[in-house]
Amino acid sequence: MINCTCIVQEGQAPDLRQSGLQELINRFTEAAFGEAAQITWIPVAPGNGFTERKPSTSSVVSMRASESLKPDRRESLLRELVELWTSATGCSVSEVVAVISDPEPQ
Amino acid sequence: MPLYICNCRKDVLDASSKREIAERITDTHCAVTDAPAMFVHVAFFEEAAEFPLEDKALFVIGNIRKGRSGHQKHEIASTIRRSLSEVTGVDESMTEALISETPASWVLEGGEIMPEPGEEAAWLAAHQSKQH
Repeated sequence: MINCTCIVQEGQAPDLRQSGLQELINRFTEAAFGEAAQITWIPVAPGNGFTERKPSTSSVVSMRASESLKPDRRESLLRELVELWTSATGCSVSEVVAVISDPEPQ
Repeated sequence: MPLYICNCRKDVLDASSKREIAERITDTHCAVTDAPAMFVHVAFFEEAAEFPLEDKALFVIGNIRKGRSGHQKHEIASTIRRSLSEVTGVDESMTEALISETPASWVLEGGEIMPEPGEEAAWLAAHQSKQH
């Protein structure tokens, strides 16, 4: 399983699931790492999220790869992840922070 | 990135104190690192199981780009703890602030791989030129 955490502004989370984003992320991790995604949705209640000191519309999608990634491969996957997120949600690229980490050192 | 998560006990923070703490955390991060405020995200939660709280009233965990000095990380954490106490009246001993790090190259924000610490100006110039 690829652990994936999605921090989203409240009201987005149910919509995002309905938009098929969960399934898209699952397909993404299957294709990239050969494993399904274990997604944790963390909604930020209204008035509780800030970016640049102002109310935030940003989402953060963060996952840990099953293998160490070379820079080109990681960037390509990050771009793919942001593309699927923006396509599914209608958010702009400036509203998405994507993180793909290497596995924890053994 | 950075992302500062503030987990707190119920009813410790009202809307106004959240806004003030978000401003102070943003100001602290920018003052210590010279990073632009546009990168700074702050989110508040009440007793969220996903984030640490331990025996504290307020617990901030900040995930910043890797490469800041130990002194910078200490200054960010200690200033945040002081701010939490000043804004809420909660004793500083009941606050905690920890800093974790993520390599900039692991993060895509604003459609671009994040700049390494200290390379923000060049990144911003390149980013803005693409917007026009």
